[in-house]
Amino acid sequence: MELKKTDLMKMYRTMLGLRAVDNRLVPLKLKDLVMDGFHPYVGEEAVAAGVCGWLRPDDYVISTHRPQGHAQAKGATMEAIFCEMLGRMGGPSNGLGGPMQWVDVDTNFFCGSIVGSGVSNSTGFALAAQRERKGRVVVCFFGDGASNTGSFHEGLNLAAIWKLPVLYVCENNQYGEAMPVKEFVSGAKISGRASSYGIKGKTVDGMDVKKVAIAAGEAIKVLRKGKGPAFIEAVTYRYRGHYLGDPENYRTKAEIERWRKKDPIDRLRKELLSTGKVKEADLKCLEAEVEKLAEEAQERALSRPKPTLAYATSNVLVPVAGRNA
Amino acid sequence: MADRTLTYAEAIQEALDQEMARDPAVYVLGEDVAIWGNLFGCTKGLVAKYGKERVRDTPISEAALMGCTVGSAAAGLRPVAEIMYIDFISIALDQIINHAARWHQLSGGRVKVPMVVRTQGGVGFRNSSQHSQSLENWFVNIPGLVVVMPSMPYDVKGLLKAAVRDDNPVIFIEHKAMYRNKGVVPVDDYVIPLGKADVKRAGTDLTIVATSWMVVHALAAAEELAKQGISAEVVDPRTLYPLDEATICDSVRKTGHCLVVVEAPAAGGFSGEIASVVMEHCFTALKKPVKRLCGLRTGIPYDKDLERAVVPSVADVAREARALLGR
Repeated sequence: MELKKTDLMKMYRTMLGLRAVDNRLVPLKLKDLVMDGFHPYVGEEAVAAGVCGWLRPDDYVISTHRPQGHAQAKGATMEAIFCEMLGRMGGPSNGLGGPMQWVDVDTNFFCGSIVGSGVSNSTGFALAAQRERKGRVVVCFFGDGASNTGSFHEGLNLAAIWKLPVLYVCENNQYGEAMPVKEFVSGAKISGRASSYGIKGKTVDGMDVKKVAIAAGEAIKVLRKGKGPAFIEAVTYRYRGHYLGDPENYRTKAEIERWRKKDPIDRLRKELLSTGKVKEADLKCLEAEVEKLAEEAQERALSRPKPTLAYATSNVLVPVAGRNA
Repeated sequence: MADRTLTYAEAIQEALDQEMARDPAVYVLGEDVAIWGNLFGCTKGLVAKYGKERVRDTPISEAALMGCTVGSAAAGLRPVAEIMYIDFISIALDQIINHAARWHQLSGGRVKVPMVVRTQGGVGFRNSSQHSQSLENWFVNIPGLVVVMPSMPYDVKGLLKAAVRDDNPVIFIEHKAMYRNKGVVPVDDYVIPLGKADVKRAGTDLTIVATSWMVVHALAAAEELAKQGISAEVVDPRTLYPLDEATICDSVRKTGHCLVVVEAPAAGGFSGEIASVVMEHCFTALKKPVKRLCGLRTGIPYDKDLERAVVPSVADVAREARALLGR
């Protein structure tokens, strides 16, 4: 699979957008306008950008407690993400969900803070897509930590035996909260777990958006033909703590610096310039534009109201048919 | 045909058959629902009629089967999942509580999760402590769920059809001791509204509020009490949430006495909920405090006699009713 210049520019822009939003969420958290449920995505942008670029609006994305990157890459506006993070009306869940759990009908996006659950419930979205026979697919993101849950193993097995159109994307960011992957994952690669269920599993450099995009693009093409699930383990890294305020006593500054040298945004920028087809001035212009959009989105979100108690306690049940009959 | 009788299990099968014929989005999934047609025949013949795409045997994998149920409901299908014994639902609770019950609200009312979880609880087959529990209380306490416990073949058909048509996640709890019970079940396409209690027997001296199999016990006890000149009214809530408080309170206002009979242990449970509702809404009508008769707080034993001894019997219901009336 060949990536065109337009593909690369699109992914570059997506990654800039994810980072611009995350970088603004940090000071908002420090002011307690965004709460501890905010899990920074900085460093992992290549995964969301490389995968979601291939998705149609009607495809589903099932995400995690670290959903903001996946959500924006799937099509949520920056303003919607700021609103949800801030707990304001205008977020996908109108601020009731907060940083870790929301449902976005407009972009077919679900996320939640129970590690591993998505691996099982993505099979349901995929079953509906399979029955519909229109080539719709489901992408299920999860972390290395999820790979030890029962839901992970049960979900992979069900997707495999029913040949469901799910692309499982494991963001292996090296730590399950504070615990290093090598201390809690048995076996060499997480992708090997998929292979044991007869699912084609691949481990790719998750700091290289091109490698992620090629692996995802090829997998999604096959998925749309109804040949069953696929699995990508993207090896990546989160520059910030599991959450902001994490004591980070489980890793060294030198380790973080080593990973920062592989930064997916810097890497693609250098490659784009080295082709000679993209000018530095054009990239600077794009970077400034994305920053401005993020700044404006944040300001608009900050002006939105909080949900009322009446709203926060509504929509618990669909009115039950016989209730007032 | 008006007086045709079916068993409780046959009534379930007929409800599913009718709903699957009516709406192609309805499908059934669970352990041994296709090849076996369920342990009690509740899904018998459905796979032959509707095919493997709509009647799906799943692996013994409750987290995945419930995940699939929840996801497919949010994506527009109408799954009827089966958890073979309610005890196994512990493996699937995350999907029900953290996902199915939450998505409608988190979507601002735009996503609906129209799914039914059929399962069965209670004693009756000497299945002992991991196959015989009464766990309905867990679900009554979760915002975003509807909880149904039908007692009669007529009810189970009409309520299951209503549950399939309802746009909420519905926990539909059958009782293993009742699958062979027979009753009049019209062949028609009728629906019993969720959230409506039913007065199973009219009476004037006391109200017995009972759920599931205990309704059968309460009716037998009422028969016995009648011979002794005591007129018991038996109220079956049928839907535990949303609860039809009005029907229960109307009955208590009439009789002045309330006995609650459930199979689950008392602490933290639905029996206390009924007692509270009665106290809050018709305290002044009560001539005596509300009395609860519940299962003992113990694991369910294997022995035939002991299994029956740890849950209320017909004699227990009659005895407690007489004690409440001081007769």
